[in-house]
Amino acid sequence: MPKLNVSRRRLILSTGAVAAGATFFGPWKTLHVYGQGAKKPIKLGLTCDASGQYGASGQDDLRGIMLAVNEANAKGGVLGRRVEVVTVDTETTPATGSRVAERFITRDECGFLIGALHSGVANAITQVAAKYGTIYLNTNSSAPSEAGENCSRVKFVWDGNGANFAKAAVESAARSIGKNWMLLTNDYVWGHTTSAATKALAEKSGAKIIDNLLVPQNTRDFTSYLLKIQQAKPDVVAAAIGGDDIKALRQQVADLKLDRKPAWINNQQDWPDVWGAGINSLFGVFGTTWYHKLPLPGVEDFVRRWTAAWPDYQIAVPGNVSYNGYMATRELLRAIQRAGSTNNIAVIKQLEGHKMPAAERMQHFDAYIDPVTHQVQQTIYLAERNPAPKDDTDMFKILSWTKPDDAKDDAAPTKCKLVPYDKVPTYEL
Amino acid sequence: MDLLAALLPHLVNGVSLGLLFALIALGFMLIVGVMEQINLAHGSLFALGAYAAFVVMAGQLPLPADLLAQWKQVPAGWRYVAALVAAPIVAGGAGMLLELCLRRTYGKDVLYGLLFTFGAALVIEELIRILFGTRDYVLPLPRGIGGGFVFLDLIYSTYRVYAGLFALGAIALLWLFLERTPYGAIIKAGAHDSEMVRALGINLTRLRLWVFAFGTALAGIAGVILAPIWGIRPHMGVDAVVPAFLVIVLGGIGSFWGAVAAGLMVGMVVGLSGAYASEWSLLSMYLLLIAVVTFRARGLLGKRSVLEV
Repeated sequence: MPKLNVSRRRLILSTGAVAAGATFFGPWKTLHVYGQGAKKPIKLGLTCDASGQYGASGQDDLRGIMLAVNEANAKGGVLGRRVEVVTVDTETTPATGSRVAERFITRDECGFLIGALHSGVANAITQVAAKYGTIYLNTNSSAPSEAGENCSRVKFVWDGNGANFAKAAVESAARSIGKNWMLLTNDYVWGHTTSAATKALAEKSGAKIIDNLLVPQNTRDFTSYLLKIQQAKPDVVAAAIGGDDIKALRQQVADLKLDRKPAWINNQQDWPDVWGAGINSLFGVFGTTWYHKLPLPGVEDFVRRWTAAWPDYQIAVPGNVSYNGYMATRELLRAIQRAGSTNNIAVIKQLEGHKMPAAERMQHFDAYIDPVTHQVQQTIYLAERNPAPKDDTDMFKILSWTKPDDAKDDAAPTKCKLVPYDKVPTYEL
Repeated sequence: MDLLAALLPHLVNGVSLGLLFALIALGFMLIVGVMEQINLAHGSLFALGAYAAFVVMAGQLPLPADLLAQWKQVPAGWRYVAALVAAPIVAGGAGMLLELCLRRTYGKDVLYGLLFTFGAALVIEELIRILFGTRDYVLPLPRGIGGGFVFLDLIYSTYRVYAGLFALGAIALLWLFLERTPYGAIIKAGAHDSEMVRALGINLTRLRLWVFAFGTALAGIAGVILAPIWGIRPHMGVDAVVPAFLVIVLGGIGSFWGAVAAGLMVGMVVGLSGAYASEWSLLSMYLLLIAVVTFRARGLLGKRSVLEV
């Protein structure tokens, strides 16, 4: 149509410059709970996504963490010191996670880092934390590699991972549904490690993997994958798709009524992802570490406290993501209290091997922090869409709960090599 | 024959996807053509259109409770039609505001306009977050265009077919508007030689305002059409602006049919790679761009530059 006065080269270069600038300069936001009294506050750096693929989940994580912090401060703080937080959007981007972690440690003098959804971001933060010896709680990234090849002496992993959920689901599905399996894998570290665990378990149970479709991150249209699945006619599709991608997939599977055949085994379904898409988009069997309607002591009280803390929040009740954030933070603060110090090595030793009673964690079985991998070994739940919900929030029907040791990732201890304590830089803030 | 039967669904999917890519790029192309302005807020206005449609369809309008209750009783088909009208109005209105603010950058370094529209994109996305939160939404659809149907023993999405046909219709209407109406002639003339248009007594300032509104309204419509497939979330604009930019560069900046052809090529490449080399499906469009631009720097149907020999 028209002739431009601006050269194409200049136009494209300028656009590239703007895009590069945008990537580098993120929107920094800080949230301060200012310390009071003479003692220096204990400062936590919260590496929670507010944008990108896991933006919604990151903000849910943040609310669980903040509830634990607020409750600790309401009881007089930890070691008589108030707990202060600073949070910045890690943008579901490893480079941003790395930059934010560096800033928290070197500029804001945070002694502890908490938060992550995306395994790439979690791994990037771990590298920075390990350099300074800063304790890092990976609250919600569930790649098996986080407690395997990417484990660290300073990192503690709080979520159940892909291997845990696969162990809970795969064997019985291979036995009862069929032997022809297809994998649908998000093309990044969590997807790959989760599908690898699923594949190993499925093949061990006699199933045959007929194809593995790799799905690039940020895929919004799954039509070609769904056509391919229909053409291949597998008995089971095991999907390791996360974040915004699983929301789009769920919507498209539900729309085509492909949720009954083939059988779908999804990995963990994070509550914020489910909340947005609604109950009708849930399909297949999926995993979780916690549900707000578990008939266990303490659950109702926790839900009440959480909803009172966040009355206007877009998600009405806490789910697994907020739960993990809360539990991780609460246990860290307790560990500092038990250690009687913020010395990182002392706190690490308090966390390693720490046992957490089922009643305190509002799960069916006692949990513990594996001293070899630093992953919390906990009850793993399998669920499906609730056919008879009691209210708008009652979307899951819990099918089973597996003991921590029965769902444990057997491969992780062979992959995880923790450095000795004397190789970890020490600090006390 | 078996190969063809296996390939056919993916070819159909590629065409339908390509039409959607072209739909996303058309408004972008129109603004680049007439304004010589890369509007990096195009994706945010796309998102604004999707949110506007959601507000109308889900009955979340700022109305008194009794009126709202009545609105929710209106059949979904009519609410969807209202959404299709409301979304371009909202996106076009926002686009007009954007153009009014953008005027100060005209005649200056192109970087000013880029930075301004990039800033506007961030502001719009943040406003969406403030108003609607970070959660995602699903656009309810009338029964007639939802669900699936069986063709060649496979289940197809009815909505994908509808969306493809809608995109085809929109492309045809836009072409008719540009080629067969006096307004289209003025727009094309403005794109070709704006000073001459001004000399002929046409109010160039107003022309730019309306072209910007029209282009962004098209972004709003694309937002409504893509929302049921992609979902509605604050950063959905990023998903749109990158392929839109890619399609117009690939097609040749300012070329209508170039954009359509490029959209179809991108759709075909993404669709086929999704089926047969799935890990390459998103990367494939960038590889296509590199391949085309390497051998034809001005894109498929772009005008030859005076600098080219």
